[in-house]
Amino acid sequence: MDIKVDTRGREAGPPGYFDDADGFLMPLAPNTRSRRIPLGDFPTGPEVGTRLPDVIAVDQHGRSVDLHADRGGQPAVLVFSRSAVW
Amino acid sequence: MAAFDAAGVKLYTLTYDEIDALADYSSAMGVTFTMLSDPNSEVIREFGILNTLIPPDEHPWYGIPFPGAYAIDADGNVVAKFFDRNFGARFGSEQLLAAALGRRFEVEPAPSLAEEVSVDVRLDADRLLSGVLHEIVATFRVPEGQHLYGEPVPDGLVAATIEVDDAPGIVSRTLVAPPTSRLTLAGSGDTLEVYEGDVVLRLPIAQNGRAMQKADDGKRHVDIGGRVRWQACDDVECGLPRSQSFEFRVEAGFPVLPDMGPGVGRVPEMNGAAHFRKMIDRRK
Repeated sequence: MDIKVDTRGREAGPPGYFDDADGFLMPLAPNTRSRRIPLGDFPTGPEVGTRLPDVIAVDQHGRSVDLHADRGGQPAVLVFSRSAVW
Repeated sequence: MAAFDAAGVKLYTLTYDEIDALADYSSAMGVTFTMLSDPNSEVIREFGILNTLIPPDEHPWYGIPFPGAYAIDADGNVVAKFFDRNFGARFGSEQLLAAALGRRFEVEPAPSLAEEVSVDVRLDADRLLSGVLHEIVATFRVPEGQHLYGEPVPDGLVAATIEVDDAPGIVSRTLVAPPTSRLTLAGSGDTLEVYEGDVVLRLPIAQNGRAMQKADDGKRHVDIGGRVRWQACDDVECGLPRSQSFEFRVEAGFPVLPDMGPGVGRVPEMNGAAHFRKMIDRRK
């Protein structure tokens, strides 16, 4: 998939702040650092209707977690986000 | 989180953070869900959602995913997923929980003997926090023998749609519509995309903070205006294009974000700066 980057935006608000094309104001210019967001299609992983792939990773308590085993037959939500640090 | 527990839905997050960073965050915030650590972005790559717009040598940004969420049912199948191109906009926890339970905001169409299409337009929330996506839901009741059109339509016909008035603070996304079937008109030979029976259209929208207005009592709200458009036809002829306006005034606010920086009076403290430095150092 050819993913295009959204370079639209303009300086707005306090010095060093920029609006993106959706009008979200952040102290970061479009197409820099973490503010590289796709314009148009981008990959969103496993499709609706398919089994969620196995996820095996260590959690905040140092415990190895196999998501499908850990949820014990319950429905679940898995959120992928940027960082808990920044 | 209490709502997830009460509903019997497990919640997991996955980020490229180190375990000790997650541990600090978790204890500072009193997290009760499971935070998974993927410091080499292995799971992120396996899912195919690594943000490849960030160059591999740009630290510490490289390694993050295109942010999003999956709701899975008891069998482990993906029942819904929530991704937006802009990390400034995302669906909220209520919608994620509802999706995992197989629920969507729905309106029971009022029974009607009318021979014309009727439509009920609602917002699926009574509060809009900036950056949190919700949906405008238009439920069309279509009398037997008639149908509405989906895109693309030939010139002169109107596809059923939801339009939001252009306003600087309102962000709208792509219309979510049910599948159409193909109908070829006997007379003209035109091929049309047709909805079967009643139709529910959903338009994801968010407010970006600019549209909020403050009333005298200090409460914030946003106004969202627009219209639904449609044209109903039977197998012989089409009615005139129709539209119906809507205007929602809803409570609005900013989401409460944790303050992770150091400094006096800024709580909770989760050593954000130290973890950030470590992140860069590890990747150099």
